[in-house]
Amino acid sequence: MGPFDFAAAAAAASSSSSSSGSAPKHPPDLDGLLAGAGYKVRSSELHHVAQRLERLETAMVNSASHIPHLASDAVHYNPSDLASWVDSMLSELPHSSSLPSGFPDPYPTALGCGWLDPCAPQPHQNVVVPQQQQQQLTVVAALEEDSGIRLVHALMTCAESVQRGDSSLARSLVEEMQALLARVNTSCGIGKVAGYFIDALSRRLLGLGSAPAWTYENEVLYHHFYEACPYLKFAHFTANQAILEAFDGHDCVHVIDFNLMHGLQWPALIQALALRAGGPPLLRLTGIGPPSPDGRDTLRQIGLRLKELARSVNVQFTFRGVVASRLEDVKPWMLPVSPKEAVAVNSIMQLHKLLGSDPNRDPPIGSVLPWIRSLNPKIMTVVEQEASHNQTGFLDRFTEALYYYSTLFDSLEAACPVQPDKALAEMYLQREICNIVCCEGTARLERHEPLDKWRARLGEAGFTPLNLGSNAFKQASMLLTLFSAEGYSVEENEGCLTLGWHSRPLIAASAWQAVPSVVNSPTGVINPNDNNNQL
Amino acid sequence: MAGSNEVNANESKRVVPLNTWVLISNFKLAYNLLRRPDGTFNRDLAEFLDRKVPANSVPVEGVLSFDHVHRATGLLNRVYLPAPDGVSQWGFEEIDKPLSTTEAVPVILFFHGGSFSHSSANSAIYDTFCRRLVGLCKGAVVSVNYRRSPEHRYPCAYDDGWAALKWVKSRPWLMSGKDSKVHVYLAGDSSGGNIAHHVAVRAAEAEVEILGNILLHPLFGGQERTESEMRLDGKYFVRLEERDWYWRAYLPEGEDRNHPACNPFGPRGKSLKGLKFPKSLVVVAGLDLLQDWQLTYVEGLERNCQEVKLLYLKEATIGFYFLPNNEHFYCLMEEIKNFVKIDC
Repeated sequence: MGPFDFAAAAAAASSSSSSSGSAPKHPPDLDGLLAGAGYKVRSSELHHVAQRLERLETAMVNSASHIPHLASDAVHYNPSDLASWVDSMLSELPHSSSLPSGFPDPYPTALGCGWLDPCAPQPHQNVVVPQQQQQQLTVVAALEEDSGIRLVHALMTCAESVQRGDSSLARSLVEEMQALLARVNTSCGIGKVAGYFIDALSRRLLGLGSAPAWTYENEVLYHHFYEACPYLKFAHFTANQAILEAFDGHDCVHVIDFNLMHGLQWPALIQALALRAGGPPLLRLTGIGPPSPDGRDTLRQIGLRLKELARSVNVQFTFRGVVASRLEDVKPWMLPVSPKEAVAVNSIMQLHKLLGSDPNRDPPIGSVLPWIRSLNPKIMTVVEQEASHNQTGFLDRFTEALYYYSTLFDSLEAACPVQPDKALAEMYLQREICNIVCCEGTARLERHEPLDKWRARLGEAGFTPLNLGSNAFKQASMLLTLFSAEGYSVEENEGCLTLGWHSRPLIAASAWQAVPSVVNSPTGVINPNDNNNQL
Repeated sequence: MAGSNEVNANESKRVVPLNTWVLISNFKLAYNLLRRPDGTFNRDLAEFLDRKVPANSVPVEGVLSFDHVHRATGLLNRVYLPAPDGVSQWGFEEIDKPLSTTEAVPVILFFHGGSFSHSSANSAIYDTFCRRLVGLCKGAVVSVNYRRSPEHRYPCAYDDGWAALKWVKSRPWLMSGKDSKVHVYLAGDSSGGNIAHHVAVRAAEAEVEILGNILLHPLFGGQERTESEMRLDGKYFVRLEERDWYWRAYLPEGEDRNHPACNPFGPRGKSLKGLKFPKSLVVVAGLDLLQDWQLTYVEGLERNCQEVKLLYLKEATIGFYFLPNNEHFYCLMEEIKNFVKIDC
């Protein structure tokens, strides 16, 4: 336990940031006060929702014995969408008096019928609610020790001078910080994390960029990170749950994994499919991965191991490896999909790597998302770091990362992993820190963006959310109690699940489906595989 | 049993605005799913349904927040501060400086409600409320994420409140005034009000200074059934049998509602005479079935020669302070503002 109470990282609002002090306003038709309470209800729908709540209460009173069913068996989705939550509760109850759509509304929609008029035009109707994406941090280092405060102060000042281009000041600050580090406990807490950031700043100033990532090493580090803390387990578990549900009723299924690594995610899915009621489907797995530096066909080896496992549980399984250094190098023709199979696209911390660009071209995500859609996936599972590490301003990025990785390292400490898992997991994270701090342009791959940005991006690209429900939540919570220390928390965020340390979400899992494309052909035929279509 | 099995939507509809009715009815129905007849609580579903918001150290409408977790215990406090005027040279503030060196600035230690079982410091409704308090009182607010029942029964919530009080009292960056101390007020709604009382008692006994208590329809009770409990049972979002469930979940097993945690001035209560207990502002909602117990509490304070002001809001239901869309809300805010003015 370190001597510091590091409450949250210090950050600086860069002078260019115009959004400090503001937060997004909600669409004008949402009831602003309920939005402040976390519920998205359109003002025009309030009456309708109230009616449904009344009906739900009546139904619950009349079938009190069914309340346990609602509580334990029924799956709840996205409680923020109050209207659909209430409706889903109603549909779960027997003799539910769900109104057919044409039913006349016994309560005219004029406000005030039956309900008290609010006393004044609601002055805070468009209440501004702080949202996670606006987390350009100002302030807050509740540091208890002088040297800790000075260290953070120096880090901020150094980052600011880097942003301004004052390299000589930055370099002298780096020296100063290295001296400060000697007086601070670097085995945990702020001392440890600061060390990595000072190191990264130093590399940046020396023009070194981040250390070359040997693929083999990277996979090893990834594996130890997987073992040391629950984030990747949560990612795999939640994605598999969603994929399993999407594959329900399909006899031929195909998973496309954007980053196979050691294939850690798939044994659990294979076993779950084996145990499926009605028997397992035919499973195809396409694993994408970079070429091995030593010329071995690692992908194929992993595929063989998975095939062996599948055989042992009587699941018909075929594997195809697709070698690509970067996801944007993968072309749709490398991933043939059959219209008979249900396709799941699985991206664990890969999409953010497509956000980088050089001056000559648009970010690759713009071409990758459309080809994903062209595969007509039944589901796309996306897990991403819940952080804003892709801001243009260096200082903003730096301080956000300082806060994020401090929290992450804290959680790693608490999980008390054995060695060498712990040391290698830290190395894994150190690489990310280095990339965020040292690199620019196409070299900067760790361009993490928060959920809200992904929602917007995926929405624009023609994907709609598939809500992750209370069953996934519950199982994720149970997983945590099995594997980890107190302090990890799963939260529901409008259909997505996040895993974080105490109250700070660090990783977000979401599921998506492609909106079917509609082609305006003369015959009006809907052709979901038509790549030329634009919505 | 009149009223307890009937759906009395009509009564509650008449006294609250539509969006408030939706909010509180939603809570009521969701909570019905969480309490099991055997006394256990569906914590997973509760956490899934609870709408939470992260802390935000970017000031929004003049308030910034951050979470502090005590390493040894895991106790989380969410701190709300008025945003600094202007931005310092490097664009950030160090909060190792006191709130003020000249004026006394109130620090409200807040305990959220939820009948000891529901909600958290990072629940959206309470985050919003605490932010409002900062703006209103021009001071700091610290919201305590105390351990909840039935997993953690009495006295866990009080212990956590006491730990939070000691933490707050010792933060240099919460100090203010020429006397350089933390000017603390305790506040809480429902179970939070109950916690505030008990923490205040402990503080008084330990001679830790608290400048005032603000109790918003605090949760008190007793073995007997009072007139208001019977008259209002089931009428305004609350049923007596739920209240009983929460006490069974919080109090030590086998205890009844005359336990002093529940009934501090009842047959097993103790005297506060002679204790330097803070002045209290007790807010009672006229449509809350627990009002008789709250009024008994006020009388108890008076009998013990402690300063207390009663704010009785005749037409208010529970939870009236969540949304700023009714006169009771504004009345309350005004009272709180005046209550925490420190003469210095």
